Amino acid sequence: MNAYTKYFVKKSGWYLLTLFIALLLNFLLPRMIEGNPVSTIASQVSQGMTDSDSIKKVYDNFAKEFGIDKPILVQFGVYLKNLLSGDLGTSFGLYPRPVSSILASAVPWTVALQLPAIIVGWILGNVLGALAAYRKGAFDKILFPTALFINSIPFFTLAIILLYLFGITLKWFPISGGYDFQMIPHFSLDFILSVIRHHTLPFLSIVLVTIGGQAIGMREMSIYELNADYVLYSKLLGVRDSRVARYVFKNAMLPQITGLALSIGTMVGGSLICEIVFSYPGIGTWLFTAIRQLDYPLISGCTLLIAVTVLLANFTIDIIYGFVDPRIKAAQMEEN
Amino acid sequence: MSRTILDIHAHAEPLPQRDILEVQDLHTYYRTRHKENVYAVDGVSFTLEEGKALGIAGESGCGKSTLALSLMGFYFPPLHYKSGSIVLGGIDVMKLNKEQLRKQILGREIAYIPQAAMNALNPTLRIIRFIEDIMKEHRPELNRKQVRELAAERFETLNLSPDVLNLYPNELSGGMKQRTVIAISTILNPKVLVADEPTSALDVTSQKAVIKLLKDLMSKKFIRSLIFITHELPLLYHVSDDIMVMYAGEIVERGTAKQMIFDSVHPYTKRLMGSIIVPEEGMKSQKLAAIPGAPPNLKQVPEGCRFADRCLYAEDACREGKIPEKWSGGRKYRCIHESNVLKEWYSHEAK
Repeated sequence: MNAYTKYFVKKSGWYLLTLFIALLLNFLLPRMIEGNPVSTIASQVSQGMTDSDSIKKVYDNFAKEFGIDKPILVQFGVYLKNLLSGDLGTSFGLYPRPVSSILASAVPWTVALQLPAIIVGWILGNVLGALAAYRKGAFDKILFPTALFINSIPFFTLAIILLYLFGITLKWFPISGGYDFQMIPHFSLDFILSVIRHHTLPFLSIVLVTIGGQAIGMREMSIYELNADYVLYSKLLGVRDSRVARYVFKNAMLPQITGLALSIGTMVGGSLICEIVFSYPGIGTWLFTAIRQLDYPLISGCTLLIAVTVLLANFTIDIIYGFVDPRIKAAQMEEN
Repeated sequence: MSRTILDIHAHAEPLPQRDILEVQDLHTYYRTRHKENVYAVDGVSFTLEEGKALGIAGESGCGKSTLALSLMGFYFPPLHYKSGSIVLGGIDVMKLNKEQLRKQILGREIAYIPQAAMNALNPTLRIIRFIEDIMKEHRPELNRKQVRELAAERFETLNLSPDVLNLYPNELSGGMKQRTVIAISTILNPKVLVADEPTSALDVTSQKAVIKLLKDLMSKKFIRSLIFITHELPLLYHVSDDIMVMYAGEIVERGTAKQMIFDSVHPYTKRLMGSIIVPEEGMKSQKLAAIPGAPPNLKQVPEGCRFADRCLYAEDACREGKIPEKWSGGRKYRCIHESNVLKEWYSHEAK
């Protein structure tokens, strides 16, 4: 086994361990919130019943169904066993809908909102940041403070400002949901247009914040690389500016690629606030609802999805980085 | 003793075809953030003969590195060109535009080894890729295979393993990196190689390898002339034919290596040579000769001799007007005193 395979195997082990700890926390933490979800549901179902025995029976039925009558470790064991067979449990709040079906319906909305926004924001941010570093002067003097300003506004404030300005005051865009609520999702021009109109504001809010953050990072990295000794040395050997610029921006991009992979990885979790502000039907809104209803399986399902995507993204970066940057690969191999 | 370049001028017997580099009254400066000008190279003139290695010495901040960079004719903020001419192989470099300079001069006629050669290579580019990029600019007719063959052959000739070509800079040791940088810089057989402190960051073994490499380049005629900049004077004696000493942006003395080390005329050179640490018996008990004071601020240089404030032999006349250069026995120095008078004083000092 060569040093790099060894590194790969070792790293995989660490990621599996992290995943297990995440699973444990995802399971335990929601259950530590004060309140009893079963009594809420049972009281809803048994509404109108007067016989305390039958109410008790309804409660016991649900408690048994959800498995919360057993000791917590046994519950965890059952949870793990079900997880291995791909069963994420049944939602308490939307009983008897399985958690996996809720997640499956939410993921496309989250991905369709986040992925294009992150990629567009990332590309624009990096181009602007690199230009600011390269051109300097007035361009930099305007761009840098603007990016800094946008990046410093708390995300939900920016989202609320957009919502207020374009949704409520100007009424250009709808203020909530993924599509007009009276519509039934189907493949038609009307529906697609409705989706796009609902998509615009949350999309813009993410793009703006991403541009701000990426532009600042890229500008700093590019300035650092532009002053590196190899820039002068290459130029003094007659290498043309455009080629030297390519060296500079490739090197400056390296940390930015990590940033991109990380934001794609944290995409599912990163959308929480945006989705909540715009009541967008993605994972974030579901998680928010689940927490309010103490819907343990749905909370664990959402957080599991977030944990898995973050870990996968990090793992991918670790591996890809080794191939892109020889210095990292050397360091990785030395770790063994 | 063979005639130095300076004699040519002294006897008005020009042999221009043998002068590879001719610098006339070069002034360059740094513009600071506070819009002040620092005249780091202030009226430098010298010539470099074919086949010669010229050493430039001086303390930190005297302008020797700036002179090295200025010789390239490639200026970028904060370094600016003010006046003077640089004639390289008959071409007036300062009359070329940036694109002509890049295509005709840089890397081809004159090459540069930066002070921090350790970081001179792009960390994410294999050595061969960088060489390919240089060749794309200067020898576009060569394909990748030919470039690789050419590079491998050159590396082998210089006792460097051609395997280095496939490596990334971080996979090389410091000494190897330095020698690789030198091999890359000279791959187009430039007439002049300007090496700015190429050995400063190396241990003695690597230093020796670098010096040997530079000598090889000269003897194999891969380069015609060498400008070697260092603050390590013993090394300079080992490498150079001629030595030039800079002080506060000016050349204060130039002569053959032997003259400069053992028989210098200018009071500053004398002091500088006196500050060399030579390991010998009883050295620990010896007091190291230091030059008291500090060089003048180059933002505002004093009138007259710039060394006057630190000189034992300074007189009122030293602080008036510009001090002209004088000739004496094949050397050039900038002092109001005559060389025989100075030597007389030095001999008293020794007693």
